[in-house]
Amino acid sequence: MTSSSPDLSLQIGSLQMKNPVMTASGTFGYGVEYAELFDMSKLGAVVIKAATMKPRVGNPPPRIAETPAGMLNAIGLQNPGADAVISEKLPQLAEYDVPVIVNLSGESVDEYVQLAEKFSACGQVDALELNISCPNVEHGMDFGTRPELTAELVGKVRAASDLPLITKLSPNVTDITEIAVAAVDAGSDALSVINTLLGISIDVERRRPLLGNVTGGLSGPAIKPVALRCVWQVYEQVDVPIIGVGGIMNTRDALEFIMAGASAVAVGTATFVNPTASVEIVAGLQQYFAEHDLPDLGALVGAAHP
Amino acid sequence: MVSVECELLSNEEDAPGHYVMALAAPEIAAEAQPGQFVHLRTPRTFDPLLRRPFSIMLADKVHGHLRLLAQVVGRGTEILVNTPVGAKLEVLGPLGTGFPLPTGDGDVLMVAGGVGVAPLISLADALRGFEHPAYIRGLFGAADEDMLVCWIEFAGRCDEFYVTTEDGSAGERGLITEALAQQLDRGQAAVAYTCGPVAMMAAVAQMCGDADVPCYCSLEQRMGCGIGACLGCVIAAADGGYLRVCKDGPVFATDRLDWEAILSDQQ
Ligand SMILES: Cc1cc2nc3c(=O)[nH]c(=O)nc-3n(C[C@H](O)[C@H](O)[C@H](O)COP(=O)(O)OP(=O)(O)OC[C@H]3O[C@@H](n4cnc5c(N)ncnc54)[C@H](O)[C@@H]3O)c2cc1C
Ligand SMILES: Cc1cc2nc3c(=O)[nH]c(=O)nc-3n(C[C@H](O)[C@H](O)[C@H](O)COP(=O)(O)O)c2cc1C
Ligand code: FES
Repeated sequence: MTSSSPDLSLQIGSLQMKNPVMTASGTFGYGVEYAELFDMSKLGAVVIKAATMKPRVGNPPPRIAETPAGMLNAIGLQNPGADAVISEKLPQLAEYDVPVIVNLSGESVDEYVQLAEKFSACGQVDALELNISCPNVEHGMDFGTRPELTAELVGKVRAASDLPLITKLSPNVTDITEIAVAAVDAGSDALSVINTLLGISIDVERRRPLLGNVTGGLSGPAIKPVALRCVWQVYEQVDVPIIGVGGIMNTRDALEFIMAGASAVAVGTATFVNPTASVEIVAGLQQYFAEHDLPDLGALVGAAHP
Repeated sequence: MVSVECELLSNEEDAPGHYVMALAAPEIAAEAQPGQFVHLRTPRTFDPLLRRPFSIMLADKVHGHLRLLAQVVGRGTEILVNTPVGAKLEVLGPLGTGFPLPTGDGDVLMVAGGVGVAPLISLADALRGFEHPAYIRGLFGAADEDMLVCWIEFAGRCDEFYVTTEDGSAGERGLITEALAQQLDRGQAAVAYTCGPVAMMAAVAQMCGDADVPCYCSLEQRMGCGIGACLGCVIAAADGGYLRVCKDGPVFATDRLDWEAILSDQQ
């Protein structure tokens, strides 16, 4: 053990994080749900559930199906709408000393721009994450599967907001680096890699898809190798910070993502299994960096690349 | 609500495929309200991945014990009931919104189907502890005598107790709804509580609605977080939206729900 504690802080534009561990959108509600279980201010940042302009009731149940070492979800972006998120949800989070990132989901470029303007003006969020990769609503992935649409969207949102901009990529593409490069060239300050993989589960007794929405997004340990591969590929093509997401259950998984090229990690499904997984990873990273005499985060980011 | 590791104190098969598991969980037992549940993790593995929800059947606040009733229906429950006594289980709870306690005079009806008896035992136990205990008429329906799980725990907390089995091996032969019809005809019921198969609860809800008896049911849905964050466990509400079983429920006033949608989602 070294005497000085390693510096795990990280900066994405004006977003200052004390450590690289965040929550993954949709798995942490609006933060307050977990406040009884641990101190949220120990996290690098909190990413809240996707917000849309109008309230959305979401998809019919069942919305969850367990799969081998993973799960499918088809929530369908249920949320009370941007105005209610700003007036009812964000003020509760303001009590905690932790940056808040809002995940935005629009149906058109205009709607993303309006969302970005609304949340920038509200003064209660520290960064925007563009969800261009939701597999559970019609057209949810369009902006994340065609580079020219990605570029247009990111460019227009960039022009509409001064907040740090993170673009969340879909793995449901042939070449994820094309989308990554398009987003960065258009002004994205960072990339979240990845959202869920599109999947189906079938109930053999009822002879029907298990999920009410038929398809859902696969998450959890089952997708970790895919997510790692995506981070690896994107790291070789872009120079902005990458937030690794997908099947991170513990410190060891987080380290794999950092070595593959992630500057930060987001913990999703793991929180359902172990509600304190994210803060345990913060402590685990501190310990690993100290034990290996690593001075700061940068010393390990991308370390596995030749 | 706490997330704790709890020792499994005992684990006994009560009926074929049904186990009563006792856990040392003082923090959870102290807080637990009738109708609340716990989210249990199968021992340290990522497959099965998600926790499994179980109603609290009894919360012994004095000794700090919880009793659960687990029916084996798949891999997760198979693993849980085979956990050796003395081992630790990760338990999150108590979770959800339980039964509202009766306020006025009149009898309390409890309608249980199979393993659905568990949360009703916790409710009956709480009502027993009142200074002026409510008069409880318990109704228990099952396929056959073997499936009358924990009936002694239930019957012992009721003032009147009625059983129906589909094959007539115990009590009256028939469905529990027939017994309920007779009880509703007697009048005097101030409130009804039910837990069991969805089709049974839908029928109970309808009959109580027709008889103007307020009715509360405890529902199940597949869960992710168990604490209201993921919106994975929703059920159709009468007003057209969705309610979270883990947070807004698992207990709901039956008139808040869209039973037609709930029944069709099951098919
Ligand atoms: C609030 C609540 C309280 C419950 N209380 C009890 C209880 O006291 N005793 C008891 O035995 N069971 C209870 N259940 C149901 C129990 O959680 C499931 O039976 C269990 O999760 C199945 O796990 P499995 O791995 O054995 O089955 P799986 O292999 O996952 O599935 C087998 C079958 O179980 C059903 N199932 C799976 N997950 C759930 C789920 N989360 N909720 C409902 N059904 C599910 C599926 O329809 C499937 O057909 C409760 C469920 C809820 C939501
Ligand atoms: C229940 C659930 C809801 C989700 N909702 C969103 C969402 O609203 N917006 C989004 O960008 N990603 C959403 N995701 C994707 C996660 O943020 C994350 O990218 C994905 O689950 C992979 O990480 P994991 O394996 O650690 O869960 C959701 C995932 C789950 C499981
Ligand atoms: S299980 Fe996550 S909201 Fe109910």
